[in-house]
Amino acid sequence: MAAPNEHPLLAPARREAVAALLIWLLTTVYCVGYCCLYGYGRDPKTLTFVLGFPDWIFWGIVVPWGVCTVISGLFAFCFMKDADLEN
Amino acid sequence: MLLAVTEVPTPGYGVLAALLIFIAASVWLGTLAQKAMEKQDFMQGFFLGNRGLGAWTLALTATVQSGGTFMGFPSLVYSFGWIVAVWIGSYMVVPLTGFAVVGKRLAQLSRQTNAVTVPDLLRVRFDDSRVGLLASILIMLFLSFTMFAQFKAGATIMQHAWPGSGILALSEDYDTPIAKDATATGESVETTSRTWKQALRERLPLSPKYYIGLVVFSITVVGYTLIGGFLASVWTDLFQSVMMVIGVMLLVCLAVPMAGGMEQASRAAIAATSSDIAMGPGYSTAGREFLTPGLALSMFFVWVFAGFASPASMVRVMAAQNTEVMRKSIFLLSVYNCLIYIPLVMTCIAARSLLPDLGKRSDEVIPQLSLLVTRDFPYHTGEFVSGLILAAPFGAIMASVSCFVLVIASGLVEDIYAKLINPNATEAQLRRATTVSMVAVGLIAVLANLNPPQYLQALVVLSGSAGAATFIAPVIMACYWRRATATGALSGMLGGFLVYFAIYSCGWAQNWATANPSAELANTIIGILGKDPMIGAAGLFRPYYILGVDPIIWGLLASIFGGIVGSLASPPLAPELVKRFFDVRPASA
Repeated sequence: MAAPNEHPLLAPARREAVAALLIWLLTTVYCVGYCCLYGYGRDPKTLTFVLGFPDWIFWGIVVPWGVCTVISGLFAFCFMKDADLEN
Repeated sequence: MLLAVTEVPTPGYGVLAALLIFIAASVWLGTLAQKAMEKQDFMQGFFLGNRGLGAWTLALTATVQSGGTFMGFPSLVYSFGWIVAVWIGSYMVVPLTGFAVVGKRLAQLSRQTNAVTVPDLLRVRFDDSRVGLLASILIMLFLSFTMFAQFKAGATIMQHAWPGSGILALSEDYDTPIAKDATATGESVETTSRTWKQALRERLPLSPKYYIGLVVFSITVVGYTLIGGFLASVWTDLFQSVMMVIGVMLLVCLAVPMAGGMEQASRAAIAATSSDIAMGPGYSTAGREFLTPGLALSMFFVWVFAGFASPASMVRVMAAQNTEVMRKSIFLLSVYNCLIYIPLVMTCIAARSLLPDLGKRSDEVIPQLSLLVTRDFPYHTGEFVSGLILAAPFGAIMASVSCFVLVIASGLVEDIYAKLINPNATEAQLRRATTVSMVAVGLIAVLANLNPPQYLQALVVLSGSAGAATFIAPVIMACYWRRATATGALSGMLGGFLVYFAIYSCGWAQNWATANPSAELANTIIGILGKDPMIGAAGLFRPYYILGVDPIIWGLLASIFGGIVGSLASPPLAPELVKRFFDVRPASA
């Protein structure tokens, strides 16, 4: 709960920090989870390639990387608020 | 069937020319920076660029890239395969976490406290000089290790940039003893007339080219940083970042088609090694598991937290012009990382089929590949282009050293000289102290590298992660928690540092015992710590893996625990102090 006289920069900054850490957490769970499920202890004969990448790298790292770049853009230009740093 | 191409041309004058251009450009940027910071407050201008960093400079300099990243990372891909994409994968969120978690608040606090350094900020925020002093000492300790390693890397690159000196690489195997050079050139060892030379060789055991490189590199970097301060450092950093992305784009566009496409390159790599090169935990001939699931999880902590809690990164964020710049930086850096890391992985997988015989010389992968893919360029332009590609990691090393010299000097001047020794120092005295401390830092780095210890690169990783484990809790607490106290900040810093260092020390002891099984103490150590689990990269400075994860996770937990318990167990800070940093200032009468 924000204090009554709290500086207006703090609430958005806290919200953005939590959102960024949540995105990191989701990314970690998905990427590590997917890669561990499909990239470790697997029969190499079942390995396929997507655009030249091993399938598990493509879906576990390359695609999320692209998605994260888009999300970062949306975060920066649509979600994050500007604030006066001087006062 | 694709034929492996192993006939790589050796570097000629193009590489040396490219390095000299880089050096000249850096000095020029230093003089430009000096003009830009003139007529401003000296400390704010020299150490923080008057808090005027724009989006490009902030985005492309406030990260953890260095020459080691550009040369060491490709070596890992070449050695272990596609799994290294997972190892570096968390860089997809580093731009977001790097600026959005504490960036805005840190920039505000640095203005409210009028702080030039991170220790200065923490000292004023917690109203306790012990916090500032401990932070300053730890930062100087961490950055010194990293900086010494970068001096060695810079000197090594200059040594090998001479035509005919072999392939340019950062490998520590390249520290050729001078005796070998003498034998190669047919010199006889006449003991009677060469006593002084032998004495010199004992003290300076490396090739003379290394020492010339060390001196030229040190004078250049300390020189332009001294001229232009913080702005010189970030502008050079920006310059090398741009060069790096151009180099990576060139390499990927030339190397992947040369290998017959990405899928063909992967299949050729599998044929040359085993299917492990396309699977987890990675390829290894020594039976090691490079990236187990536990270590993969760890890497998603290491890069993210080392990214926003490292002192060098925090200083850049403090210098941001405004929050709009930070927002733009998030996007710019996201795109930049996309263009660097995945293409680098692709390039080095392609190198597996183009340069199949590198073996233990995997550090040479980028230099050799750049010479190979440009060898058919007309009019010897290929040599110059490859020189420019190779100059990018050199520039990265210069930029890193420049930043470290600056942060260490700012600690000495602002946190020690101006706060403890001479609180009433005039601007002239501060300028003199800055010059003396920067020259001293450069001299110490040169002396430390006259006979450099091996495995400095491992210490770089250690000090980066230790920095994150030490500062993450105190910085987050300083930004967002009203109840945080000086005791909490101190226990957070010490808790993170000591736990991380203790776990790493156990790893060293375990590795020593494994390497010296006949030693009396070895059996006792192995009995307590167990045998080498054979996970992670090989090397004497491997950490000890509790529950199979990197020590940074335990260090972070200790830092958070210490910070919370220390704060709650101590009296709250004075309400006026908390209000100053958390509440709206009352309108002046």
